[in-house]
Amino acid sequence: MEKVVEVNFGPQHPSTHGVLRIKVKLDGEIIVDAQPVIGYLHRNAEKLSEMGLYPKALIYMDRLDYVAALNMELGYILSVEKLMDVETPERAQWIRMMMVELNRIASHLVWLGTHGLDMGMLTPFFYCWRERERVLRIFDEITGSRLLYNYFAIGGVYSDVTPKGLEMIKEFVNTFPDRLEEIQSIFQKSYIYAKRTKGVGKLSLEDAIGYGVTGPLLRASGLKWDLRKNQPYLFYDKVNFEVPVYSNGDVYSRFLVRIEEMRQSVRIVKQVLEKLPDGEFYNKKYAKPMLVRMKGNGESYVPTESPKGEFGVYVIGDGSTIPYRVRIRSPSFANLQAVSIMLKGYKIADLTATVSSIDPVFGEVDR
Amino acid sequence: MIPIESESKTKDGTPVIYVAKENLIPFMKEKKDEGFDMLLMVTGVDYVDHLEVVYHLLSTKDGKRLVVKTKTNEEVDSVTSIWPGANWHERETYDLVGVKFKNHPNLKRILLPEGWVGHPLRKNYPMDKKQYVNLGEDGEDKVSYDPKEGY
Repeated sequence: MEKVVEVNFGPQHPSTHGVLRIKVKLDGEIIVDAQPVIGYLHRNAEKLSEMGLYPKALIYMDRLDYVAALNMELGYILSVEKLMDVETPERAQWIRMMMVELNRIASHLVWLGTHGLDMGMLTPFFYCWRERERVLRIFDEITGSRLLYNYFAIGGVYSDVTPKGLEMIKEFVNTFPDRLEEIQSIFQKSYIYAKRTKGVGKLSLEDAIGYGVTGPLLRASGLKWDLRKNQPYLFYDKVNFEVPVYSNGDVYSRFLVRIEEMRQSVRIVKQVLEKLPDGEFYNKKYAKPMLVRMKGNGESYVPTESPKGEFGVYVIGDGSTIPYRVRIRSPSFANLQAVSIMLKGYKIADLTATVSSIDPVFGEVDR
Repeated sequence: MIPIESESKTKDGTPVIYVAKENLIPFMKEKKDEGFDMLLMVTGVDYVDHLEVVYHLLSTKDGKRLVVKTKTNEEVDSVTSIWPGANWHERETYDLVGVKFKNHPNLKRILLPEGWVGHPLRKNYPMDKKQYVNLGEDGEDKVSYDPKEGY
């Protein structure tokens, strides 16, 4: 006798990475159907952005993907700068690049630690948090905040990097790769981890493209697509780095992609430290009193590669100092939609592994 | 060739094409065959006298981007049959902007609770009127203007 049972997973559950609810239909322990339900953290950042001046909307961007806030700021700032034809000094752009790469490492470390927790490993969580703490201290030194920075500004950055900050970054990039090796080996030497992730949560390339999946998930499904390489912004065309690609499309491949991305980020930061030019860190034409008078006309969308995938803000201006329409293209929103395909046919025990491999952050999914 | 209404460019250099809403589905099918295999997002914009639905397309083969726009008053055909990923994006556009998508498999609110009054991204949405949500007896969300009725 066949009987399908409906089970609610979340919204309050330690391994949902926020407030995700999944309605799972089970036949025994096989998942027949899984429908994610979202919206529990909805604040309508798009409407809020339409209610103030252009520079004001930046703080709502911070609160989207709060573990990679600088990447979110970058997407908005680049779009607004295109909209207003603002020129940014070279030094500011190099600083931005260095900061978002450090933030990418911090974001991936959060993911790696919590992914370990979901798979029943407590040790890597502490190791990852220890390393992330060092990144946050760098941010504290340079931007003045640990989590939500409000650091990028139209025409540059709010403050220059301090010599002490540069020293801290140098120390971090020199010691981090060895420690990452150590963390990686905890995962890779575990037979249980391999058993629970290899061949689990598969997503074919066709489905990934059809559902608009981007970022590490797309690269783990076998497409070499990284906006930093394919459509470079800032100075990504002037630094050397590799784009890791795996073709299995399972949880284990996503783990490998993210680990390798952290290594490549370290490589990029090292090169930025060498190439960082002297000069202004913001465009004097757009000093703070000017910012409130800036007008945008037309529309623009500049895609960037955030730790989760393609992030961009579609800004429409009507010639006034307030944006007419702001639409946030958040990667986790599109990636999460594919979760029902990744789960179908697998066992209920694979659910936490698959959900955590997507790395959803709900500030960004629900906006 | 499907006739287009007008052509322009965004500030970042992406081509923008306006299509009449009757021609939207054949036009999108044509574009998918041309290589635009990924639908990045669907957006609605309220221009007070009419609504615009905006589609951002991407070709993962050569990296080309395209913005397709169509003007409507309320209804437009759903593109979920062409790109399955349009599902949530269209639900969100329905939820926040109030564009109805014909032939959508599951056109329900996605971010706001079912029963919410109005669409927040419309320009005439009353910002001073708070709505309160509570869990009803049947397990569904109940929305009310009375603060005693919910949270």
